[in-house]
Amino acid sequence: MDFFSKAYYELRRSSKALRLFLAIAGPGIIVMVADNDAGGITTYTTTGAQTGLHLLWFLVLLGPVAYFVQEMTVRLGAVTKRGHAEAIFDSFGAFWGWFSLLDLVITDWLTMITEFIGMTAALSIFHVPAFITVLLAWLIMGGMIMSGRYWTWEKLALGFCVINMIYVPAAFMIHPSVHEILYNSVVPHFPPGGLTNDLFFLLMANIGTTIAPWMLFFQQSSVVDKGMQEKDILYGKIDTAIGALLTVVVAMVLIVVTGKLLFGVQVDDAAAAAVKLMPMSRYIGTFVAIGLFDAGLLGAICISLASSWAFGEVFGWAHSLNNKVREAPWFYAYYVFDLLLAGTVVLIPHAPLVLITLFVQVIATTLLPAALVFLILLLNDEKTMGAYKNNLFENVANIGITLLIIVLSTAYGVTTLFPNLLK
Amino acid sequence: MKLIAAIYEDLVSQIRRVNERYRTPRIQMTPFVKFCLIGLRVYLFTLVGLMLFKFVTLVK
Repeated sequence: MDFFSKAYYELRRSSKALRLFLAIAGPGIIVMVADNDAGGITTYTTTGAQTGLHLLWFLVLLGPVAYFVQEMTVRLGAVTKRGHAEAIFDSFGAFWGWFSLLDLVITDWLTMITEFIGMTAALSIFHVPAFITVLLAWLIMGGMIMSGRYWTWEKLALGFCVINMIYVPAAFMIHPSVHEILYNSVVPHFPPGGLTNDLFFLLMANIGTTIAPWMLFFQQSSVVDKGMQEKDILYGKIDTAIGALLTVVVAMVLIVVTGKLLFGVQVDDAAAAAVKLMPMSRYIGTFVAIGLFDAGLLGAICISLASSWAFGEVFGWAHSLNNKVREAPWFYAYYVFDLLLAGTVVLIPHAPLVLITLFVQVIATTLLPAALVFLILLLNDEKTMGAYKNNLFENVANIGITLLIIVLSTAYGVTTLFPNLLK
Repeated sequence: MKLIAAIYEDLVSQIRRVNERYRTPRIQMTPFVKFCLIGLRVYLFTLVGLMLFKFVTLVK
């Protein structure tokens, strides 16, 4: 009898915990899946085409890196009830606050353009004109925020995250060798030819797509908008861990698909990869194209919100997705302005889109180390975090990651500016 | 023209308000925090300098 009552109690407890998790989950999964945006998908397809499956282990390592960095924003948001922009202004003063805000706005806007480039390129494979794609994206993104409920927006965004998994059946369709995938995932090694300049760029591009400044701003503001409390931190961490797992799975699956089918083929972007995959398998090519559109859309949704939240926090505008448009006009106006501006640039004939993409990487390089340093300092401030400040293990992991990223992203920024430096 | 002037004035006053509100950093300025912020300034000035250098050489 005692056994049954204990079992019943455990079942009820687990069921309650699961329901609570499902209510709290969202920001971590969305930010991590959105991290595989149009630029990310291009990076993974290029990685697969250039190096086959040899860099799968590197993607596996990037999963925990993304988790450790993003998990800090969960704690910071839940404890301070402030978004990332407001936290920087409040803790470091106006100078660093304006620097972070302006850098975020420029990076976000340029990245938004790359998302629209990805979306238009993806649907052009199905002969959809660019202006129709841009209109479609505007309608979807505008429609998502019209409900005036964070919950509705989040569930719709999670729906787009599910579509992002479209790459998984594509990988199963090519019947890859499980032994080969496992070996390349757990044994660190470089492709034949060793560490070259091109490989260094590829590794850096993969790091750059795994941790981006907008992700820190987005997840913290999202945690605050959702109303997460200190008691929800554990669930927030699980949410982030699941998101990190999903982002790594999508990245690995894409590398497997392009590594097996397009290895050695010149692939400039994800849309080109989809076109080259079509003659081999219409389904796989179609899946990659649909996934690219979804990735661009999800990225654009999150990036534009990250900027709108940041502006709302700093200027003191109403800035919640739980507000109706008339209750938070400036918040929604900035969101729409961001969308219209980025979408319009893509429609301008002969716009320097390649230069813009390159510029995004360099500008993002300047903000990422700064954003990470601020995050570490905030998470170590007793006055701000109290009992939730970083412990020794978290500090060792996060400071190590930050130092590594500072060194590598600086090298990446410098070599992007001066490509002949290492030759 | 009056509308643009009104928007500009409103923007400037909002920025002034933000500067006023966040004039004093609230973080405890331990030696570690000071070191990190100085390091960050040096890093950013170096990178911006490199970008400007690149821009100037491109224009030339």
